[in-house]
Amino acid sequence: MNGKCFEIGTIQAFLDGETTPEVSLRLTRHVAECDGCARLMSTAEEESSLVFSALERELDALVPTQRLWSRINDSIAEEKSSAPFWQKIMLFARMALVNPSLTAAAGVVLVLGMFAAFVSLNDSVDSNIVSSPQTDQPNDPAPADGGTAEIATTADGSAIPSELELDPAHAVTISRLSRKAIRDLAVSVNARSSQHEIKPVTADYRVAAVDSYLPGEESYVKTISDLKENVDTQKDTVMTPSNRVSYERDMAVVNDSIKRMRDVVKKNPRNQAARQVLYSSYQDKIDLLNSVAQREELIASLR
Amino acid sequence: MFVHSKNFLCLVLFLCLSGVSTDTLGQDKAPPKAPKTRETTPVPHAEPPEPFHEDGVTSERSMSVDPNVAVKLCVSEGALKINGWNRNEVRVFVKNGRKFGMKALEKSAETGKVNWLWIAHNSVGPPRPASDCLAGDSIEIDAPIGTSFDLSGRAARTTVDSIKKIKVKIVEGVIMLRNITGGINAYTSQGDVMVENSGGAIALESTTGNIVAIEVSPGQIGDLLRAKTNSGAITLQKVEHRQIEASSISGSLLFDGKFLSGGIYNFRTSNGSIRLAIPAASSCTFKATYGFGSFKSEIPIKIITENDTPRARTVVATLGSGDAAVSLTTSSGSIGIRKTDAKP
Repeated sequence: MNGKCFEIGTIQAFLDGETTPEVSLRLTRHVAECDGCARLMSTAEEESSLVFSALERELDALVPTQRLWSRINDSIAEEKSSAPFWQKIMLFARMALVNPSLTAAAGVVLVLGMFAAFVSLNDSVDSNIVSSPQTDQPNDPAPADGGTAEIATTADGSAIPSELELDPAHAVTISRLSRKAIRDLAVSVNARSSQHEIKPVTADYRVAAVDSYLPGEESYVKTISDLKENVDTQKDTVMTPSNRVSYERDMAVVNDSIKRMRDVVKKNPRNQAARQVLYSSYQDKIDLLNSVAQREELIASLR
Repeated sequence: MFVHSKNFLCLVLFLCLSGVSTDTLGQDKAPPKAPKTRETTPVPHAEPPEPFHEDGVTSERSMSVDPNVAVKLCVSEGALKINGWNRNEVRVFVKNGRKFGMKALEKSAETGKVNWLWIAHNSVGPPRPASDCLAGDSIEIDAPIGTSFDLSGRAARTTVDSIKKIKVKIVEGVIMLRNITGGINAYTSQGDVMVENSGGAIALESTTGNIVAIEVSPGQIGDLLRAKTNSGAITLQKVEHRQIEASSISGSLLFDGKFLSGGIYNFRTSNGSIRLAIPAASSCTFKATYGFGSFKSEIPIKIITENDTPRARTVVATLGSGDAAVSLTTSSGSIGIRKTDAKP
């Protein structure tokens, strides 16, 4: 404890529900009066929410018992087979001395075995050559209607794993870990996640559909999607080249603003200012799309 | 094992050869299908209409009308000037353009004079795009000062002075409006909109042009001034509306005037700056929200709350007793408040 203020450990323990009722009461009263401790608690709460959002998948995942047992059995078998080579030789020599005819038979079997291995190796190489085009076929990202597909790829171009690889041992014990231990674990999870940085193929508003929507965002995204579908088919015929340049420039400005603000809101969902600017940018995008529709409507009315 | 391997190799070889031959034969017989394309509804192009000098005549017509007549017309191309005068008569002059007619759509039950008038081209033959619209090198219209105009057009430089009310929508061209007392609704897709010394509910919109409003005032309580552009700048000077909404995406926004007691002012840009030039003795409450921009004030303001989170900030501050509510939102632009010498 530092003067009247509480240490971060105590505040963390309070948030984890590990403090005694007396300490909890004192801390609550103190935080109500002390701005410093209130800020500290707010920061700790944000960290906790960040950690638990990062680990939501793992915490919600079922314990893979079957997979765990198979892994354990495999480990035992592997350990058995990894006996030193000289021990196996000694065992074989001992048996050969006991029975020479068995040794001769073993020699014949060994020669045949080597020949069979050579032939089967050739076969497998041939079959690989034939079947490789099928296995290398890329997944077709394009939808049936020929529209642009939203694909999330990693920075190095590899596909994002469907779920984070989870060690079975961790899966068994993770639900019993304390929040602090989970926080430490989250650091390693984040480190692994950072290797799979999501990079949208097209800077499009529908990127939101890949991730989860932020609160209140869905209606904007759907409205924009409907408008954009209509505008994209008309903009080449309705707009003059100079209008088109202005439109694309403004669209780029708005998209950039949405992307940046969305990142900020995702990092800190409590950032009301970022949220307001984000929604304002969405409104700008709707207005921009509407301006094309309005022009089209006006031209059509002048028939 | 050998036999099986050979059989397998033979089978694979056969399949490969048959696949190649099928492909080769198929190329001759069935051409590849054309990619599916989405059916689109044809829309009229934004190209200029056919030459309007088809008639190539200079003509003038006039009609006696009610002092509060409503006039409807369309202009496909030309410089249009509308001027209010103190006579109960509408006069139309077209120089080197289409022939036109004036059709009375309705007459006043009280005065028996025309109170709804349609000015249109005398089109002959099948209807064509903008075939009802006037066209000419210049089009001049004189109308009673109580006239309300409903005007649409394609490419027209429009100047309107001293009438009661106007609704104008044009595809391309500058709109200049002066001395309009009863309200304005002006839209141009490409061009500037300028309003001076006018009153009433005012809505000004341009897609790529600038918007300027100088010395405008509400006609009645609650009248709104709305200015919106995507790429242009917005300048509001000596505006007396108590409700103002102004937004631009990539243009800047300047308000030079006073915030009136009880007023509600919303200024929003995405990438442009917001500049306020107000008297130091103003009374208003600012709520400035900005993402990657900045907030500066020449006038000492009292900060009520300041949410200084990274990448996005909200500042709530008051000036004087904080009567008017001013909301300033920008994503990447800066917000600045400058002091003027004008009395509040």
